[in-house]
Amino acid sequence: MKLTEKLGVVVFLVAVYVLVPALIALSGRWDFFYTLTSVALLSIASAGVWLTFYIGRINIGQGAYALVGGYVSAILMTKAGLNFWITLPLAGLFCAGLSVLIGLPILRLRGVYFAMVTLVLTEVARLSALALHITNGAKGITSIPLPGKVALFGITIIPDFSTLANPKLAFYIMAVTLMVVSFAALWRIVNSRLGHLCRSLQQNEELASSIGVNTAYLRVLAYAISSFFGGIAGAGFVIISQSIYPSSFQVTDSVNFMLNCFLGGLSFVFGPMLGTLLLYFGWDLLFSTGKYQMLIYSSLLILAMLVLPNGLLSVSFSRRKGVGK
Amino acid sequence: MKIRSLLTTTAMAAVTSLALFGAAYAANPVLKIGFVGVTSGPAAAWGTSNVRSMQTLAKMINDAGGEKIGDKTYTIQIVTFDDQKDPKLSIAGMEKMAQEGIHYVVGPNVDDGAAAVRPVAEQNNIIYFPYAFPKSLYVKPASNAVLGMVANYQSAPAIYKYLKEKKGIKTVAFVAANESDPLSQRDGGVEAAKALGLKVVSSDVTYQVDTTDFTPVLLPVLKTQPDLLVLSGVAPAAAPQLIRSARELGYKGLISTETAQDAKVLQEGAGKLANGFISVGGASTPEIASDQMKKFVATYTKMFGEYNDESNTKVYALEYILDTLKADPVAINDIKSFKAEMDKFTAPNPYMKGNEKLSYVGMTSFGQKRQISVPLVVNVFKDGKFDTLLVARVD
Amino acid sequence: MEQIVVNGLYLGAQYAVIALGLTLIFSLMNVLNFAHGQMYVLGGFITYTVVSQFHLPYIVGLVTSAVALAVIGALLERFLFRPVIARSKREESTMLLAAGVAFFLDAVTLLIFGEKQRGIPKIINGVLNWNFIIVMPYDRILIGVLAIALIAGFIVFMQFSRSGRAMRALAQDRMAAQLMGVDVDRYSMIGFALGAMLAGLAGGLLVSITGVNLGMGGPTSIKAFMMIMIGGAGVISGAIAGGFILGMMESVGLTVLASYGDITYLVIFASLMVFLAIRPQGMMGKPWG
Repeated sequence: MKLTEKLGVVVFLVAVYVLVPALIALSGRWDFFYTLTSVALLSIASAGVWLTFYIGRINIGQGAYALVGGYVSAILMTKAGLNFWITLPLAGLFCAGLSVLIGLPILRLRGVYFAMVTLVLTEVARLSALALHITNGAKGITSIPLPGKVALFGITIIPDFSTLANPKLAFYIMAVTLMVVSFAALWRIVNSRLGHLCRSLQQNEELASSIGVNTAYLRVLAYAISSFFGGIAGAGFVIISQSIYPSSFQVTDSVNFMLNCFLGGLSFVFGPMLGTLLLYFGWDLLFSTGKYQMLIYSSLLILAMLVLPNGLLSVSFSRRKGVGK
Repeated sequence: MKIRSLLTTTAMAAVTSLALFGAAYAANPVLKIGFVGVTSGPAAAWGTSNVRSMQTLAKMINDAGGEKIGDKTYTIQIVTFDDQKDPKLSIAGMEKMAQEGIHYVVGPNVDDGAAAVRPVAEQNNIIYFPYAFPKSLYVKPASNAVLGMVANYQSAPAIYKYLKEKKGIKTVAFVAANESDPLSQRDGGVEAAKALGLKVVSSDVTYQVDTTDFTPVLLPVLKTQPDLLVLSGVAPAAAPQLIRSARELGYKGLISTETAQDAKVLQEGAGKLANGFISVGGASTPEIASDQMKKFVATYTKMFGEYNDESNTKVYALEYILDTLKADPVAINDIKSFKAEMDKFTAPNPYMKGNEKLSYVGMTSFGQKRQISVPLVVNVFKDGKFDTLLVARVD
Repeated sequence: MEQIVVNGLYLGAQYAVIALGLTLIFSLMNVLNFAHGQMYVLGGFITYTVVSQFHLPYIVGLVTSAVALAVIGALLERFLFRPVIARSKREESTMLLAAGVAFFLDAVTLLIFGEKQRGIPKIINGVLNWNFIIVMPYDRILIGVLAIALIAGFIVFMQFSRSGRAMRALAQDRMAAQLMGVDVDRYSMIGFALGAMLAGLAGGLLVSITGVNLGMGGPTSIKAFMMIMIGGAGVISGAIAGGFILGMMESVGLTVLASYGDITYLVIFASLMVFLAIRPQGMMGKPWG
């Protein structure tokens, strides 16, 4: 890591952990806590989609894993009475495991074919949630408890959220921490040997295979990591809304995750984060325009594409080499 | 370029209208009432009729000089948030309302949204009026949600009982869209039918919301030859197509639903075939509509070009909020007083002829008064308009 | 059984028209047009306005929809898709653009035509009833026949006209076609316009049976995606086959699986996934898109 990059990371961390909460406290815009919490969680799911882009696959199925992750967490909390903090990694792991099973056959597909199968996958997940008994079908799961206390050797590491005066801030810290960890992991992956191999897949799979890269293994691995992120994001949302329904994550969400990546730029690790921020915040900020909200929002989206077809980050990084390109 | 110029025009129009709005009613203090629901995309019709009802009523009040609550006269401002039927956005919308200092919000329109906003509403002292039926929203310990309409588990028994006694139906079939709200309503309907001793001959058939041809959907249902076909939680868009397909397949029995429908949509989509279709409506049928209701419909039509019959039930939420605030002005910033007032509140119903009363109900269904009493008016469609079939009351 | 087959055929014909436009645009420009469903909805609303508001004959409404959508398609290609394709590094970027266009058309439709379900009066009254073995309203038969005629006309146009040949050449190999002197820009634009026009025509045809509403756009796009996947992306015959197969699957599935209730579509979608996993190029597509 170069010095400038280290500096950038420090600035970023200070911004999200200190500056943003301070600014919100100063301006009194408490509603931004939720907006930013959502952005953080959604960007984790988008990061997963970005990783599948990185191996040359268009993934429009992340909504399925977010939904599965959400249900795993919700069921473990309400039926098994587990603490949310235990269910969070379990939700991710369950999704990763599931994605290996699903990924083995479908990852052989490419281009729009893979994209379409994953799109159908989102709908299959929704319909399964409606049909199964363990998910409580159409009625969804509601009245999910807030995260409980985590203590190690008698010392409270994470307090019980229901005892907190400001759970909004706590959720924000939780989401941002998850985001930072996820993107750090993503950055590490991209800049490791695994990342180089993934790039070879993106460029030419046959060639990569011919020089001895185990392409099948790599694809499944990348897809599993991607789905892990999706599961985490889904579980995160469940705990905030304290409820989950089959419609909590659907095709629109899957498409949005993909759009976040495009908007931010596919060549940049932090693209999904920026894309999510803009797409989500954009909708939020246009709230005062009433019935013209959708019109202005979509016009801006089209305009962004016209001016910067390679994603927004392509501006600032155009002169130097983008991360991971 | 086309899109750019269109964009500029729209942006300017939006800014101008906002500016005008602010200027016109600057004299009185402003009372903001929120709306969080869906006004774009597939389910736009639900939230749009809500928003427009609220805006119409607000305009009527403001044009008449404002609403007098306590010793102050307020200008009513409706703050709307489009959640795109996404529960994640519903939460954002509710946060927005909290930020605006709003304590009374109408919406969301669907089950998942209503469940998702509950933590936010409770933290921020917001009373909200969802159009969603799950009982868990209204039964203790929940206390901030007030059901904005008649639930299907309340209307279904009344309708089936009437049809059983007056039309002699014996068998019922249900068909529902493959989504949370309609499926829950179907289950409620099946329960109600069984409780009345009716035979449920088919209740498993569902359809995708994007279905364009209902003939294959209805074929197995109609094979069971029910006396009554219930379209559970049917969206206004799908109702005429279902009716048309059923009639064209030769079905002769009754068709009903427990949700509000629009007469023009039925007329355009199914024409004469929709005659005899039974649905739940508000109070705009000529037999029972008061002058206030007629004025509301006229103002609505003038503002938005075309009336929507779904608004008959949706005008009530805002009326209840304002009337309850009038009964106890402290409640404007204090929802505890509002909750206390709900237990004893009563006022004349301005939208219906006769001595109808507004009051909060729900003791039977929820064990606490967490529902607004909307007259349960069951309509039957005939040649482009609704006739009143029966009027009932929920307790 | 006969009834199920007839239903499937009718559904298939309407699906195939929708899928044709999508696959044409995809084959020419490698653009997965997320806005296809919105174009279809717009076509429906235009026909509705012409017929129900201006009280003109149905055929005028159909033609207006076709022309309006062709113009919109041409403009979209010329001013949005062409520049973006020319400058973007990965051609999937057009997906974001297409999604933006879909949102935009949704917003415009909502503002102009409103949120309500719309429909036009029946074109022909009456129901064909053959001993209750086959029950089919006459207007459905007419629309089914019109749809099939449209498909046939489209195939003839693609096979025998100069533009059709040029577009097929483009779809096969863009570079080679260019080298052989085909005006790529011009035919891309014509192709896009033609694809949009087919969407508009489908909307105009179906508004007489099912009506139209704002919400149909997105789900229609997704259904059309599935059809072209079944048949094979970018192949005209594949789109037609895909449309009919999906129509038949729905018709048969809904009848056979009716007693299992909520899982009908789950089974349809899941089997689709399995099929695609085994045969990724669909029935007649080129492998790897």
